[in-house]
Amino acid sequence: MSAPDLLMQDACTIATALRSRQVSATMLVEASLARIGHTDPLINAFTAITHQRARARAEQIDQQLATGNASTSALPLLGVPFAVKNLFDIEGITTLAGSTILAGEPVAKVDGPLVSRLEAAGAILVGALNMDEFAYGFSTENSHYGPTRNPHDPARLAGGSSGGSAAAVAAGQVPLTLGSDTNGSIRVPASLCGIYGLKPTYGRLPRTGTYPFVNSLDHLGPFARSVRDLALSYDVLQGYDANDSGCVRRYVEPCSGTLEPGLKGLRIARLGGYFQEHSEATARHAVDRVAQALGGLATLELPEVPRARAAAFVITNAEGAALHLNDLRSRAGDFEPLSRDRFLAGALLPAAWVIQAQRVRRWFALRVAELMRDVDVLIAAATPVPAPLIGTEWIEIGGRKVQARPSLGLLTQPISCIGLPVCCVPVWDAHPALPIGVQIIAAPWREDHALRVACALERAGVTRAPVAQLS
Amino acid sequence: MTPTDLSAWVDQAARLLGLPVAEEHRPGVLHYFSIAADMAALVNELPLSALDKAAGAFIPIAPASPGDADALDNR
Repeated sequence: MSAPDLLMQDACTIATALRSRQVSATMLVEASLARIGHTDPLINAFTAITHQRARARAEQIDQQLATGNASTSALPLLGVPFAVKNLFDIEGITTLAGSTILAGEPVAKVDGPLVSRLEAAGAILVGALNMDEFAYGFSTENSHYGPTRNPHDPARLAGGSSGGSAAAVAAGQVPLTLGSDTNGSIRVPASLCGIYGLKPTYGRLPRTGTYPFVNSLDHLGPFARSVRDLALSYDVLQGYDANDSGCVRRYVEPCSGTLEPGLKGLRIARLGGYFQEHSEATARHAVDRVAQALGGLATLELPEVPRARAAAFVITNAEGAALHLNDLRSRAGDFEPLSRDRFLAGALLPAAWVIQAQRVRRWFALRVAELMRDVDVLIAAATPVPAPLIGTEWIEIGGRKVQARPSLGLLTQPISCIGLPVCCVPVWDAHPALPIGVQIIAAPWREDHALRVACALERAGVTRAPVAQLS
Repeated sequence: MTPTDLSAWVDQAARLLGLPVAEEHRPGVLHYFSIAADMAALVNELPLSALDKAAGAFIPIAPASPGDADALDNR
């Protein structure tokens, strides 16, 4: 298989091909750079391309393989091109977080830890990816850098805020990316772009070396074209880092070797109530399809979900605004117009609202933990609808006309509010042309359960992540 | 909270914070503050006891000892 053909496969296939010397790392990097050059004028996933660095790293790997270096050959992500949302620090590049406000800041001195961990596993960084400014959005209609377009229909949204991260994988530019998820920013774009995404448990992966949004809710995680890629990249990303106050000290718990048992022993239910009421026809069909493949599922309702979503909203609004207060005071006009007024409003929220929201959050986490004594995995749609057209202001959900952009996160926000791990899987049979994601939700620290179910669905042919046909 | 209350709060809180709200941004700020107020109402209506603590707890930071792999790097 040629390097351009291999680039359309998943990361595990690419690493295996390089390990067996069917291809070189340099050929893979050149194929990725060529694909980006060819497709990104349309998709607009990248904001920076690290040509020189990628070529140098590929050459280094090729030299090590030529000398029979066994440790290099054994690297799990050997030669796999990857890219990261532009809120991750990349040595020598200014970390933009989707803004122009940060464009004048010094370049990052070192890579963020998760970038370093992927490179230590053999992957090769090829660039930085577009996002909603300061991660406050679900659409990646970035007014400064242009909208990222959905590779499966460039007139439609890629989702956000990690829109570039999802679109780059769906467009076949790279097989693996990193993004962040505060209220749904991995799961929403994964859903709209038809790829796999993993939001691990809150506190699992260190956020050191990334530009923050909401410390109480920020998560990082990978996007990929297969479940085994998600598991493998997640395995190498794990590890405690004392520099992140939200990172929990836990042993590394690898998942790649735990996928084989499939569904055996897992108790699975679908979420009803709020989650069904906020799912339109395509989303409901996708959940039905998944539930059917899992043998038919009982329905479980979580208590007070609208209040949990509201708690996440209030915390996000207040913490996000407080982070940017100085710039809001001095240069509000430089903020993204789609989020500026929300930031300004968030700076003015009474403290009692925010503290009450944090209390409701813990109350909800305790109630869900009680329910999850009897169930291991919960299923719900990831977005209420498949990808809307770029510029869409209003959509209809449950017979009500609602604002399109914030509503894309209605189904993800209550889950990340309490930090549960979620694997978002792409279903293609629920709509004539567009994909939609389904959330596979597990109890805290049980990413392995979510990945096992995701793997079983992928093997059953219920989910898949094809590369978009781009001329 | 009435629209008048809301508008008065936004103006006074912005003044207290030293946060200028340009005239062209004010309608949007009032709109989003109103949405946040609706969300806060949902949050505030849940009956909680004094024992229902807030999520998130401060973790004290001990000084790093030599060779401590978890030592802060003082970035």
